[in-house]
Amino acid sequence: MDRRLFLKLLAGGLLVSCAPGELASSPIKTNVLRPPGAIPEDFFASRCIRCGRCAESCSYRSIKILDLRHGFYAGTPVIYVERIPCYLCMRCVKVCPTGTLQKVSQKEVRMGLARVNRRLCVTWKGEGICRSCYNACPFREQAIKLDRLRPVVVPEVCVGCGLCTYACPVTPKAIVIEPVYAFKASK
Amino acid sequence: MSERKKRFRYRRWRYFFLSAAFLLILVTPILNLYFHFTFVQGWYQSLGIGRLWIVSPLEGLESLLISKYIYLPSLIGMLIPVIVALYLGRVFCSWVCPISFLHETLDRIRRRIFRYNPVTWKDRLVLSLRVLWVALIGEFLLSMILGFPIFVFVSPPGLVGRELMLGIIFHTFALEGFIILVILLLHLVTRRFYCRYLCPLGGLLAFLGQKRRLKVRLKSKKCSGCGICEKVCPLGLPVNRGGSYSPYCWNCGECVDYCPTGALKFYWKRPYYLKPTSEETPKARSGNPLPDE
Repeated sequence: MDRRLFLKLLAGGLLVSCAPGELASSPIKTNVLRPPGAIPEDFFASRCIRCGRCAESCSYRSIKILDLRHGFYAGTPVIYVERIPCYLCMRCVKVCPTGTLQKVSQKEVRMGLARVNRRLCVTWKGEGICRSCYNACPFREQAIKLDRLRPVVVPEVCVGCGLCTYACPVTPKAIVIEPVYAFKASK
Repeated sequence: MSERKKRFRYRRWRYFFLSAAFLLILVTPILNLYFHFTFVQGWYQSLGIGRLWIVSPLEGLESLLISKYIYLPSLIGMLIPVIVALYLGRVFCSWVCPISFLHETLDRIRRRIFRYNPVTWKDRLVLSLRVLWVALIGEFLLSMILGFPIFVFVSPPGLVGRELMLGIIFHTFALEGFIILVILLLHLVTRRFYCRYLCPLGGLLAFLGQKRRLKVRLKSKKCSGCGICEKVCPLGLPVNRGGSYSPYCWNCGECVDYCPTGALKFYWKRPYYLKPTSEETPKARSGNPLPDE
């Protein structure tokens, strides 16, 4: 009886987990990023033990913890850069007990890559002069450069902290962070 | 003399410990958030006290098994809980675990309001205790098949801690909190239903604590066979038939408190190489065995 019940539960759990593909699909997308130093998304959910210490140590409350609606990714940390970007205080990487967030320095962080949408950007459209992203960038004149006052991202330096997205006054945001490194083809 | 006035009760101490442990994970996020006191961080999935990191063995092992990646700080963090489990058995479950605190608090409220008495209480749904192993192995297998750890939803200490942290830092509760409510409701059907049969962390600690040193010893000479110990045991172990020696026992001391004849006592099993030749040397501590008085 116990075994039967357990098997039933097991089968039910499997069905529930497999039926909607949403549960097993990563929540990471444009402007929704992992904290600094995160290992690739392929391993992230399996290595993270959901202790939430990164969120607890985050002084800006940038790091949010996902809940049951994200299926198997429940309990993992994400940063919604449109709400609160990462200020690169690098506290979270120091407290991660599993190495899911690796100990990296500020310049080595690769949470994503900023992308300027030239059809939305005021300066690129020639409607005005706005340097919000340029001013917000923590690596000024390195990660975002001005090309005749128009912002240009330097992919080698950009860490993807999202400060530029947060500062962008246009809706929808003219500069967004793409999590290009999270889905880098693993070996 | 003092035995008359005030018998030593493990229950009181245990509740004190449980409250302190619960308070720790309640106060820690507040200290972190409002006072930037980051010396103590986390909860019983991963607790950081200064440079000392403690990682829950279930979570650490599952993460290791699924990702097949060995990370040394995580392994070292698992060392302390594993050693405690090896020597003392499942004491984490009965003396520290926050869900245990909630259970005990619920029991105290029931005792006040509904005249709940553990001696007369009858468990409604009783399964074989071996279900615990099935739960443990099933949990590991299921997560390895799925490739995602499912302890997030089935390990109550982590659930309670996460809810508390989210409540304090983000002023919201995660949806998985309903699992805690389900666990507490199951407790109303059978005492500690979840801890008894389903908790994977409890299963792992029970597995580690099979050869534990701290056990409740039954002196069969003194035992009158009243069977109160079996009734009050929160895990429903047949204590008067050697249940306290089984791996499931979590050393809560409830049976020791209730035993009317004093037949049940905690004792520390010394390793075989320190065992004196004569049987009755109750006060001889480890080290030199003292040849004669």
